[in-house]
Amino acid sequence: MFKRLIATSNALYNEGLRRASIRDLSGAAEVLRTSLKLYKLNIPARNLLGLVYFEMGEGVRAMAEWVISKNFLPEENPAGRYLEEIQNNPTQLELISQTTKKYNQALLYCQQDSRDLAVIQLKKVLSVNPKMIRAHQLLALLYIQEQRFDLAKKTLRNALKLDGSNLTTLRYLKECNQALKREPERKKKEKQEEQLNRYVSGNEMIIQPGKLRDNTALVTILNILIGLAIGVLITWFLVVPGVKMAVRSEMNVQVSEANETIADKEQTILSLQNQIDQMNSQIEAAKLGEEESDTRLTSYQQLLNAYVAYANEDVNAAGQALASVNADYLDTTAQDAYETINTQVNEEYMDAAYKAGDTAYNEGHYDDAIQEFLKIMVLDETYHSGDALYSLAQAYSKNGDDQNAAVYYRKIATLYPDTQRARTAERFLEEYGDTAEDQGAENTAATDETAPAE
Amino acid sequence: MIDFEEELKSYEPSLEIEEAVDNIYGHDLTDLTDIFREMLEESRRN
Repeated sequence: MFKRLIATSNALYNEGLRRASIRDLSGAAEVLRTSLKLYKLNIPARNLLGLVYFEMGEGVRAMAEWVISKNFLPEENPAGRYLEEIQNNPTQLELISQTTKKYNQALLYCQQDSRDLAVIQLKKVLSVNPKMIRAHQLLALLYIQEQRFDLAKKTLRNALKLDGSNLTTLRYLKECNQALKREPERKKKEKQEEQLNRYVSGNEMIIQPGKLRDNTALVTILNILIGLAIGVLITWFLVVPGVKMAVRSEMNVQVSEANETIADKEQTILSLQNQIDQMNSQIEAAKLGEEESDTRLTSYQQLLNAYVAYANEDVNAAGQALASVNADYLDTTAQDAYETINTQVNEEYMDAAYKAGDTAYNEGHYDDAIQEFLKIMVLDETYHSGDALYSLAQAYSKNGDDQNAAVYYRKIATLYPDTQRARTAERFLEEYGDTAEDQGAENTAATDETAPAE
Repeated sequence: MIDFEEELKSYEPSLEIEEAVDNIYGHDLTDLTDIFREMLEESRRN
């Protein structure tokens, strides 16, 4: 019984060896595992299983088999040499370790649905350990899932070169081939789907072309015209108001600035006008001051002349000089002197004038008489109780100047009523006709008081 | 048609070097010769 089991195990080992020699690694591994289930001490079968695993890129599993083999047969066992070679090559050992870890990481990415990362990780694994069948298969599975059948097929062919009868690889490859056969039809259908837009409107499915090409010249021209119209409208309603507003704003600013400038100029003009007025006022004041000074100086000079003439007993000259004196411009002392001289001179002056006038009147020289009497009128109209006034009126009357005569007769009638002279004057006035015309004559006579009529 | 999720379940993590020793010790090495031997011993005891 035991011999039969061992023989069967050996037969299976031979089958495994045969399959391994034709690179049916998965088949060989399956047969060799069965062989070892029958007889675990089949050292050649276990060592071959380790080699098959190693060739399939499963370094750790290979080493495990070899360790067990070495444990069962410590001496004269090739497994010892295999282990020794690996252990003496730390780089290879590290590579085995790294690829195993990366493969496990890629598997984890797949389970986490991070397929892109899984693909990257598996490519790294295969770049280091291109014999790892399971990595090829997993990568192909990911490609198939992403509909990248060309890449999947390429990976699977590489896997088949290592393990020509792997059922998983063949199944995936068959799927790829079928998919690639369907690919043209699928692409064509997808293209048609892309060109159609479908949507549901109420209870109806609406299907319309995805792209509507308007390449006709008419449509192009129409589009250009619509674009131009929109551009014009935008310009008219958006740009032009903005420009107008900007211009208006700028104009307002300029007008405001101009108004400010005008206001400043007006202010300056007003200020200058005020200065001019002030200067004119000063000039007027200076003129008045000058005239006042002249008058004052003249008054003092005439007062001095009057004094000199009075000292020389020339009363006429003194009186004329005093007539030119304006007492308002004299100081108190000068005014006292003026009053003293004036009083004395006037009396003598008026006496002399009255005497000369009376003489001229008696001699029929009425013009001269009038001149003399007028000198008295300037100083005192009431001289000698109106003698000079009456004589003057008489002289005018005799001289044929009734107009001026009426003036002085009227004064007599006013100043000395109920006298003989007044009655004479009234008679004259009645004869003369003391009407409105006489009033005009009165005004003329009033003028004559300061400027005796010729 | 390949079901990706189902296929993925058939993939198991590779044995890492750190886990190799435990795996070896935990590996069931019982073969048919062991089973027959036990059967014979049991039949002899009976």
